Amino acid sequence: MTSILFNIITAFIISFMGIMIYRSHMMSSLLCLEGMMLSMFILGVTIMLNSHYILAFSTPIILLVFAACEAAVGLALLVMISNTYGIDYVQNLNLLQC
Amino acid sequence: MKIMLMTIIYTTLIMGTLITLISSHWLLMWIGLEMSMLAIIPILMNKSNPRSTQPATKYSLMQPTASMILLLSIILTMMYSGQWSIFYSNNTTISLILTTSLIMKLGLAPFHFWVTEVTQGTSLLTGMVLLTWQKIAPLSILLQNFPTINQPLILASAVLSTLLGGWGGLNQTQLRKILAYSSIAHMGWMMAVLFYNPSISILNLVIYIMLTISTFSILHTNNNLTTLALSHMWSTSPPTIIIILMNLLSLGGLPPLTGFAPKWITIQEMVKNNNITISIIMTMMALLSLYFYMRLTYSTTLTLFPSTNSSKFKWFFHNNKKMIMLAPLITLSTMLLPMTPLLTTLS
Repeated sequence: MTSILFNIITAFIISFMGIMIYRSHMMSSLLCLEGMMLSMFILGVTIMLNSHYILAFSTPIILLVFAACEAAVGLALLVMISNTYGIDYVQNLNLLQC
Repeated sequence: MKIMLMTIIYTTLIMGTLITLISSHWLLMWIGLEMSMLAIIPILMNKSNPRSTQPATKYSLMQPTASMILLLSIILTMMYSGQWSIFYSNNTTISLILTTSLIMKLGLAPFHFWVTEVTQGTSLLTGMVLLTWQKIAPLSILLQNFPTINQPLILASAVLSTLLGGWGGLNQTQLRKILAYSSIAHMGWMMAVLFYNPSISILNLVIYIMLTISTFSILHTNNNLTTLALSHMWSTSPPTIIIILMNLLSLGGLPPLTGFAPKWITIQEMVKNNNITISIIMTMMALLSLYFYMRLTYSTTLTLFPSTNSSKFKWFFHNNKKMIMLAPLITLSTMLLPMTPLLTTLS
């Protein structure tokens, strides 16, 4: 359990760092978001199976549903940005700064 | 079709916050947050243009990150305690993760950059929803968990919020950005007293929501987006400038108006708990916010704005925008201070 936990938390932290570091493409930020979500999914599955908590077996599936929704919204926005600017650079999103 | 779509989206927005408010199950709380977050993105992009894509993108990059961190804290709590209900543990790591994620969700100081840009990119009414309704759900989680919250982190965040909320608004001419900065500063006041007395924090939130809704409604009825538009309002609607003067001073927290009550009670509670230094610093920072409200009122009511003669009388049609409950909200947001003894019995 401990090595699995260590592994998953490391995956989470690496994905989180990936979001926090300034990236040129928005796609890689979205992929890092998915990485965080999937590591949480695996952690959830492991805990639910270990604890034999039958009522909560559906929890990871619910997490996955919301992850899919978030990914869909992110991809839709990515398409809109690519339509507008021709490329999905994050540095193009500077219209509202001042 | 569009009406049906908007009905579904707004229902999801309202239901998400309500689910967060009424549930004691951690997973349901998280689901409510996710629902309201996913529902506000189409509302942000209601009029689809390149300008409205940007706030939606920024919102949809920031908020899922925060809710993933919240989910990490939820699953770790579940792992250590073995239960889904709220559990006051003294595990420092989990409380740090929880506090950080909620600070990110609320847009408090170290993570406040998205608030102003998202508010600036949307219409006034959407900005109002963003600055009032969207704050309720994360704040209710904070209020339910206040013994678990990491106190030094939340106090540092509160002081930084009042500082940066006041400082950032100093150089702005866009009204939506100014109101976003004032939201950051008010959130700082709410966070400062959260650990000592959560009911004062609720009182602070209620008065802040009333003030923000009435200010945004006045600006929406006259469609003002900049200080310049506000300074030309005397030619189109003279009574409004008096109302907006009162409202802005109330937001700044001057004594005969409602906005003074939460600051007064907050400072009293902090001094009672022997936290004098932080309350002095926050009072000083409130002066910064007061300065930019005063500048707005100065250009609105107290002086003639130095603009060319032809732009003073703007071409306007009779506006048919009617905001519901505007008069009672303005009355409440300016004249509630005599009711303060009644309000303090809540705590």
